[in-house]
Amino acid sequence: MSLKREIGFLLNGIRTRATVPVDMSALAMLRDVIGLTGTKYACGEGECGACTIIVDGASICSCLMFAVDCEDRELTTIEGLARDPLGERLQRAFVGCGAVQCGFCTPGMVVQAKHWLEAHPQTSRAEIQRGIEGNLCRCTGYVKIVDAIEAAAAQQA
Amino acid sequence: MSVERYWAPASLPEALEHLRGGDVTILAGGTDLMPQSHAGRVTLQRGLLNIRRVPELHRIERDGAGVRIGTLCTVSELLHDPLVCAHFGILAEAGDHFASDQLRNAATIGGNVCNASPAGDMLIPLLVLDAEAELASKPNGSVATRRMPLAEFFVGPGKTKRAPDELLCAVWLPLPPAGFAGRFFKFGVRPALDIAAIAIGIGGVRVDNALTHARVAFGAVAPVPLRARRTEAALEGSVLDPAAIERIAGIARDEVRPIDDVRASAWYRRELVFNMTKRMLDDVAQA
Amino acid sequence: MRVIEKGTLIGKRIAKLDAPEKASGQTRYVHDLDLPGQLYGGILRSTRLHARIKRIDVSRARALPGVHAVLTAADVPYQRPLGVGKDQLPLKGDKVRSLRDEIAAVAADTADIAAAALRLIEVEYEDLPPLTDPAEALKPGAPVIHDEKLPPPAAHESLKAGEPGDADAHRHNVAMTFDYAQGDVVIGEAESDVIVDDWFRLHYVTHCCLGVSGVIAEFGPSGNLTLYSNTQVPFLHKREFAEILDMDPGRIRIIQPPIGGGFGSKLDIYPFEPICVFLAKATRRPVKLVFSREEEFVASPTRQPVLLRLRSGAKQDGTLTFRVCETLHDNGAYTSWGATTPFVMMQTISSLYRVPHCRYHTTAVYTNNPYAGSFRGYGNLQATFAVEQHIDKLAEALGLDPLELRLANAQDPGEITPQGMHFKTCGLKECLRTAAAASHWGDKHRAAIAAQKAPGRYKRGVGMASMLHVGGGAKIYPSDGCGTILKIDDFAHVTLITGASEIGQGSETVLAQLVCEELGIPLDTVTVVNNDTDITPWDVGVHASRTTFIGGNSAIGAARKARAKILAAAAKVTGLPEAELEMRAGHIVAAGSGEAIMNLAKLLRSLHFSDRAELVMTTHYYEPPSKHQNKEYKGDVSAAYAWATQVVEVEVDTDTGLVKLVKVTGAHDVGRVLNRLGIEGQIEGGIVMGQGYAITEELIVENGVVRNPGFRDYKLVTAPEIPEMDIHFIETMDGEGPQGAKGVGEAPAICVAAATANAICNATGVRIYELPFTPEKVYRALHHPAAPVGAA
Repeated sequence: MSLKREIGFLLNGIRTRATVPVDMSALAMLRDVIGLTGTKYACGEGECGACTIIVDGASICSCLMFAVDCEDRELTTIEGLARDPLGERLQRAFVGCGAVQCGFCTPGMVVQAKHWLEAHPQTSRAEIQRGIEGNLCRCTGYVKIVDAIEAAAAQQA
Repeated sequence: MSVERYWAPASLPEALEHLRGGDVTILAGGTDLMPQSHAGRVTLQRGLLNIRRVPELHRIERDGAGVRIGTLCTVSELLHDPLVCAHFGILAEAGDHFASDQLRNAATIGGNVCNASPAGDMLIPLLVLDAEAELASKPNGSVATRRMPLAEFFVGPGKTKRAPDELLCAVWLPLPPAGFAGRFFKFGVRPALDIAAIAIGIGGVRVDNALTHARVAFGAVAPVPLRARRTEAALEGSVLDPAAIERIAGIARDEVRPIDDVRASAWYRRELVFNMTKRMLDDVAQA
Repeated sequence: MRVIEKGTLIGKRIAKLDAPEKASGQTRYVHDLDLPGQLYGGILRSTRLHARIKRIDVSRARALPGVHAVLTAADVPYQRPLGVGKDQLPLKGDKVRSLRDEIAAVAADTADIAAAALRLIEVEYEDLPPLTDPAEALKPGAPVIHDEKLPPPAAHESLKAGEPGDADAHRHNVAMTFDYAQGDVVIGEAESDVIVDDWFRLHYVTHCCLGVSGVIAEFGPSGNLTLYSNTQVPFLHKREFAEILDMDPGRIRIIQPPIGGGFGSKLDIYPFEPICVFLAKATRRPVKLVFSREEEFVASPTRQPVLLRLRSGAKQDGTLTFRVCETLHDNGAYTSWGATTPFVMMQTISSLYRVPHCRYHTTAVYTNNPYAGSFRGYGNLQATFAVEQHIDKLAEALGLDPLELRLANAQDPGEITPQGMHFKTCGLKECLRTAAAASHWGDKHRAAIAAQKAPGRYKRGVGMASMLHVGGGAKIYPSDGCGTILKIDDFAHVTLITGASEIGQGSETVLAQLVCEELGIPLDTVTVVNNDTDITPWDVGVHASRTTFIGGNSAIGAARKARAKILAAAAKVTGLPEAELEMRAGHIVAAGSGEAIMNLAKLLRSLHFSDRAELVMTTHYYEPPSKHQNKEYKGDVSAAYAWATQVVEVEVDTDTGLVKLVKVTGAHDVGRVLNRLGIEGQIEGGIVMGQGYAITEELIVENGVVRNPGFRDYKLVTAPEIPEMDIHFIETMDGEGPQGAKGVGEAPAICVAAATANAICNATGVRIYELPFTPEKVYRALHHPAAPVGAA
C-alpha cells in the first residue's frame, strides 16, 4: 500500500481536498476518489485522449499525470464545462452537428476542443484536425466533430 | 515496492539533497513515468521526488554564448518561446510534430533527454544544435554542476550518463553561427501521434552550393539518437550536385544501424534514410 | 382557427436523443456504474500458448487480505461450454490453447488487490507443441488443438494424439467447413475468354471500441441474476447464460448500460462474463470486471483473417462467367462468429455482380492463435477485396473500361440471384454511375495510367469498388423479428419500448423519428426504453445492419395501431369520418384544410377519464418476410439488399510507400434517408474504419503472441488523416423498408480496401494482394516486387 497524501486544489472552480496514494493517476483520482466519471479511461498511456482535462489552462491526459501533482493547481473537467460559455457552445454544437455516436470519446474531445479554441481562436479546419489529433474516435470518422468545433468557433467570433 | 516518502521541494538544493539520499524516482512531466510504472515496466523507488515546483528548472534564458532551457520546459512552451523560435527553428519544427497537443503540454525537454529513446523526436534537433546536458548534484553539501555534449550523454536505449544522485537541470544550446538553418523530417504512419519509424535532422550554414558547419542526426536507426559523423564529414563543404547528394545519402544509409521491430524492418529504415536524406539535400540545393 | 401544414421528419437532420447527456459527460457507461457492496474481479490468463495445466496453486492469493474468492475450473464443476462452437469452457482446467485462455479468477475489495492476488497464483504447465500457422493445421502430425474431441484410444492405449497410429488426428483441427455452388463452374470456365487466378491475404484487425469490455453481475436474494452487460444481443445472451449456468432463463435479467462502441464485438458470449457471474455467485456480492486496454487487445475477438484464392472468368464482351473461391480461415483456439463469416462471403462471391456459375469453399482450422468474432461487414470486406480486384484485372485483360464491365454485369431491380436473393429494389447501377461521375473517375483513371511511368515522387490514382450486403435483416436465427410496446400518456407523451438495442449508431433516434412521423408529434415528446430485458420485448439483436429496418417496422406497426385507435376516438368525439382526420404537431386536424380541431393530449385525457376508460397502449412484433436458407445456403435470407459504390482517390509517395487517402466518393443505395445527420455519421465513420483496415491497422500476431496490444503501435486513423468525403444517397424506396429505408450500418466500411487496392494499382501499375497497405509493404511492392502470396 503506497503512501497517501492529502492535497488541495481547485476543481471546476470549487476548492477541493482529496486524499490520494502518491502513485495514483489524476484520472483515477477524479473517477474513483472524487467520483466524477465524465473523464474516461480508454488506454491509460496517453494515446487516445479520452481522459483529457485542463490543468492550469493547458489540456493534458489525466492518465499520465500524478494525482499528487494536482496540488495547488486549477483543474477543469468535462463536468465543469457546462458553466463555461465556450464549453456550453461546444456541447451544443456537438449535439447539433451529429458529432456524438457512442459518446465515449466525447468528453475528451470537448475538453480538448475548448482548450484548442481558447489557444487558437482564429482556427482553420485543418488546424482543428491537428488540434484533436490526440483524441481517437472509432464511431464518427471525425468529420462531424470537426464540423462542431468549427461551428462553435464561428459563434465565438 | 511501494512509495514511502514523497517530496515536492521548492528549491534546487533541497531537491538535490533528497536525491543524494538514494532510492529516489524523479517526477518531472510524468508522461512516461506514470504509464511505465502502471504497466510494471518501471518500479517506483521508495522516494518520489516531484521537481515541478523548483522555479529555476522552468526558465528559458540567454546564458553567455547560448540559451539555457530548463529541464521542465514543456514541448508546447518551447514551440512558443521567442528565443527558441528565433535561434532554434529546427527544435520548434520537431516540437510541432511531437505526439499530440495534450502530450506537448505535459512532456518536458528534460524527461525526453533522460529517457534517451533512440526514437526521441526532440533529441534529433538537439544533437543537430550541439546541445549539452547540464547536470547538478550535491555530493558534499554544495551544489555542483557539470556539462557534457548530448552525443556523449546518451549511451544506450534508455541509458544516459546521469548518475543516480544527479538531476538534469537544463539543456544548454550554443547560439548557432550566422546563417545556420536546420530542417527536421519525421516519418511514421501517423502525422504526429507516432513514435517515428525514422527521424532526420540536418543543419548547416549555406555557402554557395554547399553546407558548412554541417550537422546530421538520425532517430530510430541506432541504439541511441545518432549523430552521424561520417555523413557530416561527407556533407561538410561538398558541392551539392546530384552525384554528391546521392553519395552522401548512401553514406548515411550505411552509417545507420537500424533493427527490425514491430514498427518497421531494418532494410526499410535504411531505404527511408537514403531517400529522405536525398530529398532534404535536394531541398537544400534548390533553396 | 389554427391551420397546421403537413410536415415531415423524414430526411431531416435530427440530433441524437442521447447526445446532450453524452456531450456533458453525464452518461454512465458500465465502467461508471458502481453497485453498493461491489467487489472487483480480475482474470488470470495463460502465459503459455499450448500446454496442459498440471497444477494451479491459489493458496497465496486466497490468503491475501481483501480477497473474497479465487476460482479455478475445479471450483465451478457446473460450468458449461460457451460460444458459437460450444468448444470452450469459461475457466480452463485441462489445457490452455492460446495466450488469452482464462485459468483463474479473483474477486477482491479493490481492483488493485485483485491484480495483486492474480500475481500470487502459481501455475505449472506442461508445454505442448504449438500450432500457429493455419496451413500446418491439416498436415499429418500436426498438434491437435481440441484433442478432447479425439475418440478415446482403444487398442492404442499408449499412443498420444499426433503420434503414428493416430494418423487422422489432425482432422480434428477442422472447426467448420462451408461449401456452396451455383451453376457449374466447369461450364463457366469453358465459356471464359480470360481467367485470372490469385491468392489474397487478409489480416487481423480488431474493434478497438473506446469503451473497454466490462460487466457487472449481481445475484438478488431469491437467486435471480442481473447482468449489466454491453451485449448487442441481450435476449440471445439471456438464453445462453441460462444454458451455461444451468439456470431458468426467466430468472436472468440483462440491463444494457450505454455502450462505448460495439461494431459486432459484442455479438457472442465471451468467458469473462460467465466468470464474473461465477465470482458473484461465490461471494454473494455484486462483482464488477473491467478490462485494461492491453487486456482488450489480447483477449477480445478480432476480425477474421483469411487466406483466399479466387479464380474468376469473363467472356470477351465482358460478361462474367464464373468464380471459384477457396479460403482457409484461421479459427484460433476457440470458435466464435469469425468462423461463420462464409455465410456472408459466399453471398459476395456468388452475387456481387451477376455471375452464373460459382463454387465456394471454406475450411476453418483450429490453431493456438487469437480467435475471430463478428466485426462490421462480417467477411464482406475480405471477399470484396478479392472480387473487386479481379473485376479490374478482368477489365484490363479484356481491354474493357472497368466501369462499363461493372455496369454490364450489375443486376437490375427484380432480379433473383442463383443463391435465391430477391433484389426487389436494387440501386447498383445508379451507385456505379453516380460515384463515377461525381469523382471524375473516368478522366482521372485514364490520366493516372498515362502518368504511371512518368518521373515524379507522388503518384495519384483512383479505384472503384462496389459492395452488396443485406439491408433488411438476415434470417439466420429462428426469428429475425423485433417487438415494440408503445404507450401514450395523458399529456401526449409517448414511451417507445423496443427490443432494438442502441449501440451508438442512433437507432433510438431513428425509431423515435418513425413513431413521431406516424403520430404527428414532436420528437421531444418521445422517451425510448431499450435496455432492460425485463421490460422490453424480444429482438434478435444488433447485427446485419438490421435495426433501422426491423426495429423501425416494428415501431411503425405499434405506432399505426395507436394512430388507428386515436383517430377512431377522434371520429367519435368530432363526428367527422376517420378518413378526414389527420394527426399533426400534437393535434387532430382536418385532413384537407389542416385546420386544428382538437389538441391530442386533450383527446387522450377525454378517452382516459370517461365511462369507458381507455389508455392508448399498443404492441407490435415485426417478422420480416425473408426466408431461412436451405441446407445449400440458398434462400431469400433478407427482406432487402443494399449496395454502395465507392471511388477512392489515393496519393502514393514512392519515396516512402505512404498511401494517402485523398478523397472517397461514395454512392449508397439506402432505400430512403431517414435521419440525414445520423446516416451521414454512419457512413463517415464506416469509411474511416475501412481506411484503417486498408492502410493503417494491423494486429500483429506472431507465434500466437499479440505484439502490439496498445494504441501506440496499433494505429487507428486520427483526425488529420481522414480523406475528403463526398457522399451521395440513392433512394430506391424499398417497399418493405420503414418509409422505404434499408440498412446501412456496415456498408460504408466494406469496399474501401478494395477500392484502395484498385487505386494504388491505377496510380503505380502495381497490384498488391495483401493488407494492410503499410508504407513498407507498398514500398517493397513498388521497388522489390514480392513473391506471390500463399503457397499454391
